[in-house]
Amino acid sequence: MANDASAASAAALSTMALAGDRRAIARLLTLFDDDGPGARDAAAAFAAKAGRARIVGVTGVPGSGKSSLVNALLGVWLGRGLQVAVVAVDPSSPITGGAVLGDRVRMGEHGSHPNVFIRSLSARGELGGLSRATRAAVDCFDAVGFDRVIVETVGTGQSETRIAALADTRVVVCPPGLGDAVQAIKAGTLEIADVLAVSKGDLPLAEQTAREMREMLGLRRATSEQAWKPRVVVVKALQPGGIEDLLSAIEAHEQAIGPGQRLRQAAAASSPAQGAAPAAMDAAAWRARLASLAERDGLCATLGISVLAGGPGRAEVAMTVDARHMNFNGGCHGGAIFALADSAFGLASNSHGPVAVGIDAHITFQAGVAAGDFLVARASEVHRTRKVAVYRIDVLRPAPGGADAAISSFTGTVYIKA
Amino acid sequence: MTTLDFRPRVLVTKIGLDGHDRGSRIVAAACRDAGMEVIYTPPWQSIAAVVKLALEEDVDVVGISSLATDHLIVPKLMRALREAGLGHIVVVVGGIVPDNEEAMLLESGVREVFHPGSTMDEITTRIRAYAGEARRAGQNSPLAQETQP
Amino acid sequence: MNKRLESPLTAAHAASDAKARWQREYGETIGADRKVTNVSGIAIQPLYGSDDWANYGQSDPLGYPGQPDYTRGIYATMHRGRTWTQRQLIGLGTPDDYNTRLLEIMARGATAVSLIPCNSVYRGYDMSSVEPELLGTCGVVVNNAEHMARCLEGVDVGEISCAMNDPSPFTLLAFMLVTAERRGIDWNKITGTSNQSDYISHFVANHMFYRLSLPGARRVLMDHITWCNEHVPRWNPMSVVGQHMQQAGATPAEAMAFTLATAVQNAEDCIARGMDPDHFLPRFTFFFDISMGFFEEVAKFRAGRRIWARLARERLGAKDPRSWRFKFHGQTSGVDLTRQQPLNNIARVTAQAMAGIFGGLQSLHTDSYDEVFSTPSEAGARIAVATQNILREEAHLTDVIDPLGGSFYVESLTDEMEERIVSIMKTIDDAGGMYKAVESGLVQRMIGASAMRFQQRVESGEQVIVGVNAYRADDDAATRPAVARPDAAAMQRHLDAFAAWKAERSPSSVNAALDGLTHAAEDEQRNVFGAVVDAARAGLTNEEICTRLRRDLGFGQPLAFV
Repeated sequence: MANDASAASAAALSTMALAGDRRAIARLLTLFDDDGPGARDAAAAFAAKAGRARIVGVTGVPGSGKSSLVNALLGVWLGRGLQVAVVAVDPSSPITGGAVLGDRVRMGEHGSHPNVFIRSLSARGELGGLSRATRAAVDCFDAVGFDRVIVETVGTGQSETRIAALADTRVVVCPPGLGDAVQAIKAGTLEIADVLAVSKGDLPLAEQTAREMREMLGLRRATSEQAWKPRVVVVKALQPGGIEDLLSAIEAHEQAIGPGQRLRQAAAASSPAQGAAPAAMDAAAWRARLASLAERDGLCATLGISVLAGGPGRAEVAMTVDARHMNFNGGCHGGAIFALADSAFGLASNSHGPVAVGIDAHITFQAGVAAGDFLVARASEVHRTRKVAVYRIDVLRPAPGGADAAISSFTGTVYIKA
Repeated sequence: MTTLDFRPRVLVTKIGLDGHDRGSRIVAAACRDAGMEVIYTPPWQSIAAVVKLALEEDVDVVGISSLATDHLIVPKLMRALREAGLGHIVVVVGGIVPDNEEAMLLESGVREVFHPGSTMDEITTRIRAYAGEARRAGQNSPLAQETQP
Repeated sequence: MNKRLESPLTAAHAASDAKARWQREYGETIGADRKVTNVSGIAIQPLYGSDDWANYGQSDPLGYPGQPDYTRGIYATMHRGRTWTQRQLIGLGTPDDYNTRLLEIMARGATAVSLIPCNSVYRGYDMSSVEPELLGTCGVVVNNAEHMARCLEGVDVGEISCAMNDPSPFTLLAFMLVTAERRGIDWNKITGTSNQSDYISHFVANHMFYRLSLPGARRVLMDHITWCNEHVPRWNPMSVVGQHMQQAGATPAEAMAFTLATAVQNAEDCIARGMDPDHFLPRFTFFFDISMGFFEEVAKFRAGRRIWARLARERLGAKDPRSWRFKFHGQTSGVDLTRQQPLNNIARVTAQAMAGIFGGLQSLHTDSYDEVFSTPSEAGARIAVATQNILREEAHLTDVIDPLGGSFYVESLTDEMEERIVSIMKTIDDAGGMYKAVESGLVQRMIGASAMRFQQRVESGEQVIVGVNAYRADDDAATRPAVARPDAAAMQRHLDAFAAWKAERSPSSVNAALDGLTHAAEDEQRNVFGAVVDAARAGLTNEEICTRLRRDLGFGQPLAFV
């Protein structure tokens, strides 16, 4: 049968790819992209062999300096004799499904180096497929022997979180000037950053931007539990030695987290809430797991609620108040605060695995909230039996030095389904 | 969404020395709007870079835009693609090509030359058809044959 | 619309009666009227009257030629005093070929030199580094000072204005200056322009290669302006280009807006360097495309002239009226020429040239009808020059200054184009200026959208192109000229001679000159273009100079696109 033959050829292509045949690799990547016959089995086989390569995610909008930064990374790694693959993900037109993939040529002269393999993938408007194809590509490059794999994304949407989870170390690139950084925060992009790179470091504004970003991230450090504190570096991609700080940060992160991190996170993120919770997950894995749940939540997307941290029976989410959340008196709508608290409630109560649905909830409002305020909701488990659990959620507005303002208290009860 | 059993991957590029790329940008955008995946490069790509790109991106069709004389080195590109085992890729040229030089291109293996006045509809329809042909030919090419059970 | 208030005077009643009558009769006879907008997006009426021109009825509503804001022309005499410079861009084959063509053209009336080098030169390569089939097909292969000397044999560069089409790092001008020096010509006598020296437009539209990175090109342009002001005081180092962007698809209003914004950016860079605007602005020139939108182009130029006078004075702080003058060279647009029925292009070029002349240009290049295929044939080049002579001598287009001034349509359209241009300039300002707008890809995206819109106009038939989407002919192929390619044997001789010349040079003086380039590049206080001139004198080639500067100042890479 045609399918058997194609599936067999997928397996044979895999053998050739593992032996170093570049054309076979390219064919397999297309197969993964089209989810053709034999693709899933081949992907699983590569996943089983993966774990040696270091995966770095680089996210940045056009004009952020991302391409120069990737080019500089290529330069350094090629200089060390490493084999580097780049998966460049471009958004696709949601209407036609077509895409123009132009990232690879922005990487300059290194694209032609024999130790570099660059592949462009389009988002095809459908997140699940892209995520699967990108993961398969990354695992394939890993398994066939590339030392580093760069996953490059544009960073304009929630899809970035899913792709970012593929990387061991996630770098977000911002140009100097706070406007773009604030936009990135609002888009939730900064939530995923392990390293924040301020590009065009030769401009005087770069150092200032880096300082301000460290302060902003400092607020988060006070409120979330993470094994790694995101580091802000300044990058001068066009100068020799200009990415030293970035390289140190990436290497430090790899040390702190350990290799093969993404594989554990991927396992955690892909298992749905139903079923037993995986044992022994670390903070980053918990965050990724809850984030993938939140991604399926329409209201979180609508209101811009993002996941900061999580654990068994615990969740921490955040929201920056803007025009969407305002009431007719010019203050923050109580329903928005309720939604924020309720989101933490839902994530914490569903974190163990079995589906939990809210059956009762109460909220008190203690302080006013204005447009621009950054709010955090922290949920903790008060009591849990086989069928019922109670949670307490505190909503606060973080301030430097720990003088957080208490905004709201929320209590909720869930019923745990079978 | 267009229903295709595969999504054509098309490279739109310029080789040689000329930089005028208004036409190639419009063709790239038109192919995108027709639901294809377009690898788009700026002008001045070397032949070696185009071959590497075509291989890594597993493209079905290569579209060369030529307004001056850069099409004169397309035969070199055709040879290089064949030597890299990429003979199944369909190559088309668009732009200003004098009549006598068009014949030379077709002889070297170029499938079609699009002249000014061709509409975007015409171009994208032909490219999609060529992409299907290339994809099937690719499956029958030496690499695929080696992998048949 | 009749903007006038109801007046009890009989004359006014009679006038509005007449207009109403015309409107009625027009409406009854026209049938299905079509909505017309020009390429810049301005709606065009079937008739324009005094009530369409805001300044109508004022005394001296337009001012006078040679007086700010120069709507009617930057000089008091304009073409009647001194006709526009006939500056045909020429470039093909070997320096011998170039020189032959140049002398021929000048014998037939061209009054200035303009040299276009081979694309390989723009890419920063010498002829030995590229495929031989590509050499000399779009410009002359000039790689060193000796080649330049051969190109300009028989031309007194101390008397005749020369334009070198060559952006950063301006190696061609360096070769030309060395040639002049060797001929004993004082640099103070040399006039001409570093044509298309504006690096920003090259990064937008990819027409000439930006050999250096964006910031590197910026540095070298500033050095170039400073150095020329001091050493070649009658030379125009700054040529701000609108042509590339319009050819890439920008509408005429966008092209003018982007060009003026680029001029402002470059001027502000000069001011940041401590230069006095009145010192460098009089040497700023502009370079524009002239498309087939006849009245739109006339209005574009008149509006641009007015806006520039204001910008120079109010925004850049220039006090000398010479700094407010909008000097520009126009080139008929090759994009409008067709491959089908190519002789029709002669008519097209004539219309475009007229629009430029009525727009008040200072210098004009007319395309040859076969330019769409390759560098012009001898016959084509001759007709192009004759076209200018005919317009001047037989159509008497130089007898009256700004003859379209006062036309209700032209004045109304000039005002509307001015409004549109100013609004687009505001978009660029909001993006942080032209440098930032190009770096981020904003300008390229705007141009891409306009290019797509124009393509749709053509494909829908709204824009008819004779011989292409209408009025087609079956025997088309017969009228297409055979394309001339450079003589391969002559090019081979040129290559061999070049190789021999290189072998004769002393490696130590080459290395010393290269080090001179690096020292200048590494020190902000030194002048890179000065080092380029020294390098040209020491016998370095175009590729050697460009390669070293690319290493030190950054390799030009494409910016965001599509």
